[in-house]
Amino acid sequence: MKKDSLRLRLVFAITSLLFLIVLAISPAKNYFREYRSVQRDFRSLGMSRAKSLKAAQAYQKRPVAIEQVWLRDLDRVDRCTTCHLGVADPAMADAPEPHRLHPRTAHTPGDLERMGCTSCHAGEGLATVRPEAHGTTAEAESPMIPLAYLEAGCGRCHTSEKVSQASLLSRGRALMTRAGCYACHAVRSHEQFRSEAPPLNTISVKTGGEWIHRWLKDPSAVNPNATMPNFHLEPKEIEELTHYLFSRPVPRDLAAAIEKASAEPAGDAATGKKIFSESRCISCHTVEGKGNGSAPELSKVASSATPGWLLAFLRDPQAFDPVTRMPRYHFSDQESRDLVAYVTAEFRDFDAPKEILEPIRVNQTLAENGKKAFSRLGCFSCHDPIQGEATEKFGPELNGIGEKRAASLDFGKRTDLARNPPAWLAAKLENPRSFAAGLRMPSYGFNADDTHAIVTALLSLGSQPVPEAYRPPLSGSPAPIPGGAVGALIQRYRCLSCHQIGTQGGDISMAPLTHEGSKVQRDWLVDYLMLSFTIRPILEERMPVFRIPKDEAVLLADAIESFYVDPSIPEDPFAGRPEPDRNPVEGQRLYVTLGCRGCHIVGAGGGYYGPPLTDTSTRLKPGWIYAWLKAPQRWRADVRCPNYGLSDTDALRLTAYLGTLHGEKAGAKVGGKK
Amino acid sequence: MNTISLAPLERWLRGTAVFRSIVRHGASETNRNRSLIVFENLFLHVHPVKVREKTLRFSHTYWLGGVTLACAVLLVATGVPLMFYYHPSVPQAYRDMKELQYVVDNGVFLRNLHRWAAHLMVFTAFLHMLRVFYHGAFRPPRQFNWVIGVVLLIVTLLLSYTGYLLPWDQLAFWGVSVGTNMAREAPVIGEKIRFLLLGGNMVSENALLRFYVLHCVVLPVGLLVFLAVHFWRIRKDGGVQGPSDDAAGSIDEAGS
Repeated sequence: MKKDSLRLRLVFAITSLLFLIVLAISPAKNYFREYRSVQRDFRSLGMSRAKSLKAAQAYQKRPVAIEQVWLRDLDRVDRCTTCHLGVADPAMADAPEPHRLHPRTAHTPGDLERMGCTSCHAGEGLATVRPEAHGTTAEAESPMIPLAYLEAGCGRCHTSEKVSQASLLSRGRALMTRAGCYACHAVRSHEQFRSEAPPLNTISVKTGGEWIHRWLKDPSAVNPNATMPNFHLEPKEIEELTHYLFSRPVPRDLAAAIEKASAEPAGDAATGKKIFSESRCISCHTVEGKGNGSAPELSKVASSATPGWLLAFLRDPQAFDPVTRMPRYHFSDQESRDLVAYVTAEFRDFDAPKEILEPIRVNQTLAENGKKAFSRLGCFSCHDPIQGEATEKFGPELNGIGEKRAASLDFGKRTDLARNPPAWLAAKLENPRSFAAGLRMPSYGFNADDTHAIVTALLSLGSQPVPEAYRPPLSGSPAPIPGGAVGALIQRYRCLSCHQIGTQGGDISMAPLTHEGSKVQRDWLVDYLMLSFTIRPILEERMPVFRIPKDEAVLLADAIESFYVDPSIPEDPFAGRPEPDRNPVEGQRLYVTLGCRGCHIVGAGGGYYGPPLTDTSTRLKPGWIYAWLKAPQRWRADVRCPNYGLSDTDALRLTAYLGTLHGEKAGAKVGGKK
Repeated sequence: MNTISLAPLERWLRGTAVFRSIVRHGASETNRNRSLIVFENLFLHVHPVKVREKTLRFSHTYWLGGVTLACAVLLVATGVPLMFYYHPSVPQAYRDMKELQYVVDNGVFLRNLHRWAAHLMVFTAFLHMLRVFYHGAFRPPRQFNWVIGVVLLIVTLLLSYTGYLLPWDQLAFWGVSVGTNMAREAPVIGEKIRFLLLGGNMVSENALLRFYVLHCVVLPVGLLVFLAVHFWRIRKDGGVQGPSDDAAGSIDEAGS
């Protein structure tokens, strides 16, 4: 009995001890957490770097504790600063990680409290342990954006296509628009996206069966500027689709226009050549690779479209495709005939068989199958979008693709890939169908740089819309496009295909029209619209000669003069300024010392990077010159003209000097004074 | 030596009104006093006044009921602090799991203790029932307590199931989706039961709130009530029954 009780006590003592040890494990783990030693390291590092005793004491007094930034509007807590204590500490400028000072950016150090860390870098803000915080495990909730794709972080808030200081992101987004990703994939703020793919309702009278075969097999082999991707179609599918396309009825008015055009006599190719170069077609199109490349390559166009179709299209492109970027020129009947004669004579594929433009006899069974293939392959997404039904897209939604974790991505057969989202996205772009059998995404043939840019743009797509408080201010208000006669002219000449107005428009022209009314003189503009000439010879893209009649030019110039003005640009910059500010001689001296000559031509000499300034007084308004000189980059971020930080007086003097330049004679006069 | 010097103090302490209100009996080691200690204490009086020595042996019950009870106590003890850190709302619930992991001192330990104790409780409750079954302890006079035991098992399982949803992760969501879909398959009333359980037609914030209230209030209170009856019946039925072959006679003796 006594012995038993002693043994029991021993067992009790030992198990109690074991129990205590087990209980101590958790508090011990708690005490030895990584961030505590990191903070102690920071403390000693700070003390060794402190410039004063007081600063050193401040480091010493720092308690070891979890630090966090609470982002109320984002409903997020970032504890990254628990380990990265030096992000806003200038004394930690070149300290080793994780203590180092954050490099200066548009948002650091100013916005740390407002934006935290995960707004840009992603990762798990709540976490206080490294693998989870950085999201390096496959199960990690939100992996950090790798540095190579960091601009994706900018795109989480900056949802516009162009984001200043984020060129990679902007390029990726532009590529996505061009490739038409949004036609098949739903992405927030692109609900209204409409692909630029042409409607196919006139294709049966435009081209032949052989050409459609070649095109469907590989569009980029036919036209290097093609935006249509390669669908890797089976020969059977190509045959069926061709029959289907030829079975589609042509709208009556277009059919009549084409028929009429085909019956017209051929024009004069030599005159057509002149018109072709004068009309600046290669500001958008390419001919054998030369040109802007935003419109189709033309060097083989006569082997893809019949002369009658080309002629009818040239006369009214917008009747064929209401959203085409091609302007409607004011060619006379004869001029358009000449132009088509030149194109059909010169721009043909001499290796192509004769029957490339021969229509085919439609087989109804094949056409029926082709119709099914057309919807099965999703062709309608780009070529026949159903208006108003933007919610049902052919492909999966892409919102939130940038926040996916590797574990929720289907790598399928691609066991060769690194298990992270960028690798998955890049492989999807390079070889979309390699993941599993039956996938339908076509290949776009992006090169490595394009893929990198597009992956950056994709990683910027978050699942949640940007909260009100974090929406960046719109860069430039979306200037209105007037209605009525002026609006119709802007539509007709497709000004927005090349020029930007506010946030809309293409980027072929270097001159946005948003403030054009404050910039140029009305009379000069009327002349320029009627007969546009080269302003900057260094640029390949030039304003086409639309042959705008005088009344239309006046209407447009007046509208620009009254609509597209910036109230911050003074009408008369010299108003209320003392006399010495108007001194053109001082201004000329500045012109020489600042080296303006390097880029601009005045009189006989000067560089040709910038526009010549010879006729400045008749072209530009003084208020604009002054506003430009004060801050050239305010009007376009990528302007190369240096911002010299001129004082008001210097800017005015330079304005006064430029205001004396009236063509060659006047330039010589001022020069003569010297 | 010490006891001698403390004797007057102890006498004074035992004489105070407060002490006599809490401990209402003397200290003498008599049978009567021992009985009084049990009778006059709410917590002790559910237990038999006398326990046979052989029922304390491990092989008699394998302590399975005791381990189950210990788990229940541990679950309450860890569950209450967990309630301090948990919000039964959709945006917060899962984040609170993360907070336990990342910020709360010993949070992972607390949560894991709760989780493993819950698993163990279900496991030992089943073993306990098997032990009772194979020892024939469900036979009269213990037939009523067997039924109480079955109710307790169901309450335990419901506690385990309702707790499963609370982390609000994918596992929880789909686990409860599947579970409530099974309830729907019941004839006639299936749909109604599912609607009642979820407070809607899908696993949503209403379901989370319902499961939370069930898990933290309704079911624990039910467990407590039935546990009290269970222990009281053990005492009334003559204490725990072990293997029936050598103890058969003693049951009849003890049976009231």
